[in-house]
Amino acid sequence: MTDTGHSRRAALTALAGGTAAFCCPQLAAAQDAIQGAPIDSGPRTGLSSQRARWWKAVGQGKIECQLCPHQCRVANRERGSCGVRENVGGDYVALSYARPCAIHLDPIEKKPFYHVLPGKTALSVGLPGCNLQCKFCQNWEIAQVRPEQVQTFARSADEIVKLARRRGAPTIAATYSEPVVWSEYVYDVGAAAKRAKLRMLMVTNGFIQSRPMLDLLGVLSAVKVDLKAYTDKFYQNQCGGKLQPVLDTLRLLARKKVWTEIVVLVIPGLNDSEQETRSLARFVKKDLGASVPVHFTRFHPSYRLQNVPSTPVRTLTRVRRIALDEGLQFVYVGNVPGHPGNHTYCPGCGKVLIRRVGMVTVKNTLSGGKCSNCKRAIPGVWS
Amino acid sequence: MSFDPKRRQALEALALLAGLVAAPGEAHGEPRPSPPRARARSRPSRRTAPIVVQVRRPGVRDSSTGRVDPTRLDEMLTLAVTRATSRKTPVAAFRRLFRRSDVVGIKVGTLAGRGLSPHPELVAKLTQWLEQAGVKAGNIVIWDRTDQELRAAGYTLQKDRQKVRCFGTNQDYVWSPREWGAGGSCFPRLLLGELTALINVAVLKDHDLAGISAGLKNWYGAIHNPNKYHGDGCNPYIARLAAYPLIKSKLRLTVIDGLVAQCHAGPARSPRWAWPYDGVLVSTDPVAIDAVAWQVIEARRKQVGLKSLAAEGREPKWIAAAARLGLGEARIDHIRRVEL
Repeated sequence: MTDTGHSRRAALTALAGGTAAFCCPQLAAAQDAIQGAPIDSGPRTGLSSQRARWWKAVGQGKIECQLCPHQCRVANRERGSCGVRENVGGDYVALSYARPCAIHLDPIEKKPFYHVLPGKTALSVGLPGCNLQCKFCQNWEIAQVRPEQVQTFARSADEIVKLARRRGAPTIAATYSEPVVWSEYVYDVGAAAKRAKLRMLMVTNGFIQSRPMLDLLGVLSAVKVDLKAYTDKFYQNQCGGKLQPVLDTLRLLARKKVWTEIVVLVIPGLNDSEQETRSLARFVKKDLGASVPVHFTRFHPSYRLQNVPSTPVRTLTRVRRIALDEGLQFVYVGNVPGHPGNHTYCPGCGKVLIRRVGMVTVKNTLSGGKCSNCKRAIPGVWS
Repeated sequence: MSFDPKRRQALEALALLAGLVAAPGEAHGEPRPSPPRARARSRPSRRTAPIVVQVRRPGVRDSSTGRVDPTRLDEMLTLAVTRATSRKTPVAAFRRLFRRSDVVGIKVGTLAGRGLSPHPELVAKLTQWLEQAGVKAGNIVIWDRTDQELRAAGYTLQKDRQKVRCFGTNQDYVWSPREWGAGGSCFPRLLLGELTALINVAVLKDHDLAGISAGLKNWYGAIHNPNKYHGDGCNPYIARLAAYPLIKSKLRLTVIDGLVAQCHAGPARSPRWAWPYDGVLVSTDPVAIDAVAWQVIEARRKQVGLKSLAAEGREPKWIAAAARLGLGEARIDHIRRVEL
């Protein structure tokens, strides 16, 4: 394989905004890849010394991280599985706090949120690190690294909010990598956004303990959860995680009535069976509600999963049909611009309410959150 | 000329055999260390058993100042390297292990900082012998994961290609993950594209998850995502990573700096559990040396009243896993443990 080193990496680091620009040229001008000076502060160059939350000391200088279900026991000078939280002499430090490695202005549909302020933008912020290790990670060059391995910029929560306002973005999204592992920053940005009357969104794998999730819900307006599959085997073999905690998070979000959308990256042969799709759809309908949007998105070879082909469009069409047959009301197909599954249909009369091409909303006929034809209320965050 | 590690290993085994038959012990005209306390254990398979040499000299490191006695360290290393390789001199040993054209990487493990990292004086001795064996200074690289950790352990960074180089690789990975059996990682450009031979210079310490951290665990410093592979006591990850051809085929020698060792609360330095072991361990078998290191740690734990690693659920199972992968010998009674 040709080694393209840092230039390729830098390009991928900017992938979010780049993709947006590619799919929607008019967004190119809005794309806001922020340039900043490299940071040189904290216990080591570029790293933050911000004290972490959600942990406890367990004796002998060790720390138990209580942020995610891994519940890492971290000895002095070691880090949790995420690689961004370190035991520094008995204190737990969030090394990546306020050190974004990617800030872009994206269409909100790119997160994807299809039922949150369609056509609006989200100032999207990503920090290094992830608590899973999905072999198919699409953003692995910032998610599967340690914070010192990627260029970061110092941006306080208030600076992020100011930037969003300056750019006219009504929302701020914690996205790209895994916000769970930088939850302190999500919380602080969310709190600042709330004060500024902006909405905070979180794009997450849902692999988080309930206490920190509950804390975050105090500042979040909507959450998109990547449900990687509906089998524990997949989570263990492909992601280094477990399914149950993610389901628990989804149930918690439903219980707390936080607007939630689900994305399932459909990978040929690994999570695309009819049985699994039916089980997943039944879980959503029964435990979360039939109106929770589910996006089936197309996989392309990435990171360590290079030997599986891209998902055939017919597979996406098939799994969408299965989910609709099971009674889900809003089932989408993602990463396939032009697919009929890009649009929002009224579950009452079948009318196309929001017409999209890929990540771009081209027509929105919703009126006051209702179908303009049959007046049925469509769930979402519309204003 | 192509280089075949297997052929080399076979030749080394033959050479070792010949040496043992011709002149056991410290013969071969080598100056006899004084006083020799060799007590190689008698084993049925002695002639073919891998050798792990332990040389201890109380006082080699002044525990109050941290200063190392260079003469004593030189003697210790000389003994260890020559016995481990059955060569008369360390330079002869290095001529046997390395080609003049090799680019030799000395991977040091400096995570724990000064006081529980390989001593620069020890590494300097290895670089000296390499140069005397014909390897150009510019073809010797002392490396670890980060510049910061190297500096904190007392190393001086050097990137001048005319000199022995010393730097961290954290900023220069080839960003294309490679599968190594139990995981996938990016490796340093240095290791992928430049180094042709490796010396592993590790420390002798406890590790809260892996049980111990000695030679094999040191390779975690060669991947970009070590934090992903600490589950299940690092088993089989440590073994599988060390078996990755990029490492396995280049590794010639493992040296464990045990001037200071630590029997508990690792991998960071803990003065409470560190003790002056005043020793070095050397072997060409990367598994056998870790098996012996484990014994050393366990003996100390027993001495100070700690439970065994197995009792704490931290038995380093990856040592046996490494042996199963053909990296070396894990059975302690099949290892020639030479204590000098």
